[in-house]
Amino acid sequence: MWWYVGKRLLQTIPVILGATFIIYALVFLRPGDPIAGLFGEKPVNEGVKEQIEAQYNLDKPFLVQWLLFLKGAVTLDFGNSYTGRPVIDLVSQAFPVTITLALMALAIEMVLGIVAGTIAGLRRGGLFDSTMLVTSLIVIAVPIFVFGFVLQLIFGVKLGWVDPTVGGDWSVSKLILPAFVLGLVSFAYVLRLTRTSVAENLSTDHVRTARAKGLTQRQVVKNHVLRNSLIPVVTFLGVDLGALMAGAVVTESIFNIPGVGNLAYNAIKRGENPTVVSVVTIMVLVYVLASLLVDLLYAWLDPRIRYA
Amino acid sequence: MRLSRRTRLAGVALVAAASLTLAACGGDSGDDSSSSDQVITVDGSEPQNPLVPSSTNETGGGNVIDELYAGLVAYKADGSTVNEVADSIESEDNKTWTVKLKDWEFSDGSKVTADSFVKAWSYGAFIDNAQLNAYFYYPIAGTNDEGNSETPELSGLKVVDEKTFTITLKQAEADFPARLGYSAFFPLPDAAFGSDGKVTKEFGENPITNGPYKMDGEGAWEHDTQIRLVPNEKYDGERKPENGGLTFKFYTDLDAAYTDVQAGNLDVLKTVPDSALTTFESDENVQPVSEPGSVFQSFTIPQSMPGFGSDEEGKLRRQAISLAINREEITDKIFNGTRTPAKDFSSPLMPGFNEDIEGSEVLSFDPEKAKQLWAQADEIKKFNGKFQIGYNGDGGHQAWVDAVSNQLKNNLGIQASGKSYPTFDELRKDVTDRTIKIAFRTGWQPDYPSIYNYLAPVYGTGAGSNDGDYSNKQFDDLINQAAGAQDEDERYKLYSDAQAVLMQDLPAIPTWYTNIAAASAKGVNNVEFNWQNLPEYHKLTK
Repeated sequence: MWWYVGKRLLQTIPVILGATFIIYALVFLRPGDPIAGLFGEKPVNEGVKEQIEAQYNLDKPFLVQWLLFLKGAVTLDFGNSYTGRPVIDLVSQAFPVTITLALMALAIEMVLGIVAGTIAGLRRGGLFDSTMLVTSLIVIAVPIFVFGFVLQLIFGVKLGWVDPTVGGDWSVSKLILPAFVLGLVSFAYVLRLTRTSVAENLSTDHVRTARAKGLTQRQVVKNHVLRNSLIPVVTFLGVDLGALMAGAVVTESIFNIPGVGNLAYNAIKRGENPTVVSVVTIMVLVYVLASLLVDLLYAWLDPRIRYA
Repeated sequence: MRLSRRTRLAGVALVAAASLTLAACGGDSGDDSSSSDQVITVDGSEPQNPLVPSSTNETGGGNVIDELYAGLVAYKADGSTVNEVADSIESEDNKTWTVKLKDWEFSDGSKVTADSFVKAWSYGAFIDNAQLNAYFYYPIAGTNDEGNSETPELSGLKVVDEKTFTITLKQAEADFPARLGYSAFFPLPDAAFGSDGKVTKEFGENPITNGPYKMDGEGAWEHDTQIRLVPNEKYDGERKPENGGLTFKFYTDLDAAYTDVQAGNLDVLKTVPDSALTTFESDENVQPVSEPGSVFQSFTIPQSMPGFGSDEEGKLRRQAISLAINREEITDKIFNGTRTPAKDFSSPLMPGFNEDIEGSEVLSFDPEKAKQLWAQADEIKKFNGKFQIGYNGDGGHQAWVDAVSNQLKNNLGIQASGKSYPTFDELRKDVTDRTIKIAFRTGWQPDYPSIYNYLAPVYGTGAGSNDGDYSNKQFDDLINQAAGAQDEDERYKLYSDAQAVLMQDLPAIPTWYTNIAAASAKGVNNVEFNWQNLPEYHKLTK
């Protein structure tokens, strides 16, 4: 098992090298001139421009820029943003709030989705099942920012139960509404996955056997149906953690959360290579680690799966 | 960035010192329920540079800097200037100016001396320091066209004694003192400079300043969150704060800021988001502000564009294009009345504004005449091309560009369309490299309150922001005369004459002025906007 984990971790190295290379190339190929953009519509002296370009290695060929970035990254020096702040500061400030937000969203979608999905799966065709199916369909069909704005207006402005925006001094309680909005779409998917999976497993042989042995409904569901039904759900949730973090940009801007999504969005607009690549590199790491965790969970959920 | 994505007119929009009014000296009279120790929260965005005047050219930092520092002069809400740190600014030939200072202190108690100004400006202009605001020093002798100097000491500045210095200009300019309220001309204390002669990082984080407000101690700048300012008790100018402090709360999205105003979590929002433009004036949850502003919008047709040169054919076509645009309809239907159709090349807020400039009929809507002029131009030479307007897709311009294109199509019977550049800097690159061969969106926000600032840097031959490479000797002469004119009325007349030349040549097609559309929370008082489209921050109370 540890050998397996080690092997997987080693695999992340080429993944990260490849990812940074691709992102670097993409930002490099972006047309425009970020340094001229800094000066707005005022004329810039060529000497001044060259000086600033040299400061950010923009005067060097693409491959050299990338290698210099990697060299710095090894020592956790990700360079400076065009505003002169170390990228590592920007990232370490933006990540905690985004991770908290993503984990909260994950928890909300997981608990609500699995519980509602299981109930719906057990009572297929019933009123609850139908209601859930329709609800989840609506949630998937309506864009997330619609829910964001509507819920913000209702709970933040009209009812005044929560602060409509989060701002820099965030706390877990302020993040509940944004996390709910962020997790909403995934909740619908988790619900549907769980429902189908539970319904399928109900008619398998081992469940019939368990019932024949005289186990209570509760034991059957908990030990024999649910555990087996969770494999596709866990797969989805693992990948979803990354998607929640990367996809938080809409939610972050609606609720004014200074997280990673906003950081990446603004950096892309300014053509700020070091920031974009650093953020993406960390995103890639999150994805890789989350999928490793998912693979390890398989073995725990289904003893037939073993890692040697 | 003010650059608050959709408000940016010029990408990096410009900043200038906040204004003051005489009423402010009278103290806080007339406010029944307000208390003077309440902290006011206003919207802002994370400054992109250290809080050093010469290195900040975007509004996120600029708005804060204007409240932190005081310059030689300050601007009143209506755009007129009064001496602030300066006791007098005088010149006999409009070329060499002698500045005498009042007794003034920085917030740490150190004195504001002639050296504080001379060192700060020299630092800003010196090429090795690569300061983003260097351009503003270009009128001073010893700098090049981009405002940079090759030497650490700017040769146009001479310290006479502790409280006197002289400024020598490249050419006479009667209006020069009006420039001096802009942030690039603020002073820096000695404490700003490190042992290597550069402004230190620590200073940029937490500057010591001489303006109405100062930083609220160490850590007042909470990155990506807010900046907290408190009144500077050492300040004795005319912008005395009437509130207990200002907190600039950062938003990346205006919709979120507007929601906060509705909920009472933000006191003043200086720009209402597009999504609320139709509703904010009747929104019960906010106090709306809607009035004319100082931002001039246009699209520039480069002189090199085939069929639009500086000959007779080009002039006819330019006039035809201008006459074929129904500005009223667009400002009404697309902007819901938050733009005002342009009547000149400056703004109604500027001193000396004239809405009846000779030839300004060309800005009215007259499709018949437009067609006629276009036909005349076609007689000289047939036009087979397509008329395109380039714009940055990240600034909310598509709607009006499409509308203008459709009007040109319908009224002139030509092919016309918009061309979107994904981001502002991509558009600017094509413009500054002169590789752009189509018309493109341009806008101007004044650096200081003078019509001169709308004309000379934009349409003067070889001027820094003359993106269309327009050149007309008659215009240059008039604008130079205006710069040297002592008498105010004479100067205003020369501005009008110079604009009459532009009405003939139309180097850019004026479209509209951007109105101020702002909102404040219930219970906030004294929300007054100035010529820069900014609230008079020091007057806000609640």
